[in-house]
Amino acid sequence: MSEALCFPSVEWLNAVREVFNTTDSYRGAGGGQCDCTVGLKVDDEVFIVEFEGFGCSSVQTGTDFELGNVDFYIEMPMSQWQDMLENISGNGHAIGEYTLNTIDLGSEEGIAHSKHGDQYRQDLFVRYNQTLQFFFDASHRVDTTFENS
Amino acid sequence: MTTPAADENLPELDLSWMNRRGPWDTHAKPGKYGLTLADIQVGEYGETPQQSQNLTGRSRGSPPRRAAMRIGGYTVRTKSDIWVENASFLYEEALQRQWSSATDVPWETIKPLPDDVEQAQCQLATFLTEVEFVAGDVPARWISVTTPDYFEARQVLLAQVMDESRHMDVFRKRALANGGGLMKATGATAGFVGGIDLSRDFTEMSSRLHISGEGAVLTIFRMGELMAYNDAEKAIYRLCAQDEARHVAFGVMHLRYMSQKAPERREEIDTYLDEAEGGMLTDAANPAGRLTQTSESLCILLGGGRDKFDEGFRKIVAIRRRQLQEYKKRVISAGFGERFENGRSRLNELMAQTAA
Ligand SMILES: [Fe+2]
Ligand SMILES: [Fe+2]
Repeated sequence: MSEALCFPSVEWLNAVREVFNTTDSYRGAGGGQCDCTVGLKVDDEVFIVEFEGFGCSSVQTGTDFELGNVDFYIEMPMSQWQDMLENISGNGHAIGEYTLNTIDLGSEEGIAHSKHGDQYRQDLFVRYNQTLQFFFDASHRVDTTFENS
Repeated sequence: MTTPAADENLPELDLSWMNRRGPWDTHAKPGKYGLTLADIQVGEYGETPQQSQNLTGRSRGSPPRRAAMRIGGYTVRTKSDIWVENASFLYEEALQRQWSSATDVPWETIKPLPDDVEQAQCQLATFLTEVEFVAGDVPARWISVTTPDYFEARQVLLAQVMDESRHMDVFRKRALANGGGLMKATGATAGFVGGIDLSRDFTEMSSRLHISGEGAVLTIFRMGELMAYNDAEKAIYRLCAQDEARHVAFGVMHLRYMSQKAPERREEIDTYLDEAEGGMLTDAANPAGRLTQTSESLCILLGGGRDKFDEGFRKIVAIRRRQLQEYKKRVISAGFGERFENGRSRLNELMAQTAA
C-alpha cells in the first residue's frame, strides 16, 4: 500500500491529479474538455490547480494575492474539506450534501468566489462542475491523512 | 488475358474540377484538445467576413460557382449580429461534455417520495419540459437563417439545440419515473418566454434567451441540488446546469462582442434588458418569481413538504436574490454595467423588494 499523503499539500494534489488523469470514466458522463484555473483555499493555505484539455495539468502552492488571477477559488475551512473528503473516501464519490455544488449552496455566500467579480469566469465553477467533482472524487483512491489529525 | 484497348469513341475524362479549389497545401495539426475547429482556422479558411454575401450554402473558403441557386434565406449576414470570439471552443466543449439522460443519471437511487413532494417534483418537471421546448425551438429557427460563413456560431447553437432536447427528455423521464406523471401545463411558454420567439433580431433573441431566460434557469438548476431527494435528481440538475452555463456563456460573449463592434446598437440592447428586468420577478416563466404553481412547488421541494412551506419560501427568496445578483454580474461582464450606475436599471429596486 502506498504511503498516506497529507491534505492539503502539493503531494496530495498531485496524487489525486494522477488518478484523475488516468481514469477514462472521468472524461465522459458530463466530464471532458475543461479549461480553467482554480484556486483552493484551506484555512490560510492556497493552492492553484490548472485544468487544460482533458486533464489537470498542474498543481502548485499559491498566495492569497494570486487568487486574484484564478477564474474562481473554492474556499472552505479545514474541517469542511475534511468532511467532504471523508464522504468521498467512504463512498467512492461524493453523495448527499457533500457534492461541491450542494456545499456551495449551503451558505448564502457559497464556497466558490472570485476577486475579479467577472461572472463569466465565475460561472466556470458551474460550467465545469462535473469535472471538478470528478477531480475530488478521484481522491477516494489516495490514502489521505489530515493535518490536524 | 488481353488488355482491353482504349475505346476511341469514349470522351476524354474532364478533370478540370481538380483545378477549382480553395487554398491548398493546408496541414491543420491537432492540439491538446484533438483536431478542433480552432485548429483548422488556417489562412483564408479562418477568415470570417464582416458582411456575408453567401446565399448559396457554399462552405467558407470554397470557391463559388456560377449559376448557383439561392438555397437559404439567410437574413443574418452581418458578423456582429451573431458572433462570439470563442465559438469554436464553446462548440468543441459542448460536444465533448455531452452526457446521456439514459445512463449517466443513477435512476436506481430514486425511491418513493411522500405524495406532496412527488407532485411538486412532477410539477417542476412539467414546467421545465415546457421551457426546454422553447429553448430548443428558438435558437433552431435562427440557425437556419444564418449564413454558412458564420458556421462556428451556428455549430454552437446546433449543440445547444441538442442540449435542450436532452433537458426536455430528462425532466419528462423524471416525471414518469417514480409513480407520478406530468401535471397540468403551466403556461410557461406564454409571457416572457413566448416573447423570446417574437424577436426580430438575433441579438434581441440572445439577450432575452441566453442572458435573462437561461440565466434564471441556470440558477434554478444550480439550486436543484438543494431540492433533490436522491442522487439521480442531483445528477440531473448538476449536469443540466453545466449545459446551461455554456448557453449563458454564449449570450454573454455575444453581447460583449456586439457592444464592442457595433456600439450604435447599445441603446437598443438596453431596451431589451429593460424589458427582461421588468418581467424577471413577476412572470410565470420564472419559477422563482411571484407565487405560481411552479414557485409553490419549489417551496414544497425546498422546505421538505407542504407543512414546511414557509421554510421553503425563505430558501426561494435566497434563490431570487442570487438570480438577480448573478444576472447583474453577467450583464456587467457583457459590457452593459453602466445601466446599474446611471439609474436606468430597475434591478436594485427588484433586489430591495426581494430582500424585504
Ligand atoms: Fe435547457
Ligand atoms: Fe439552455
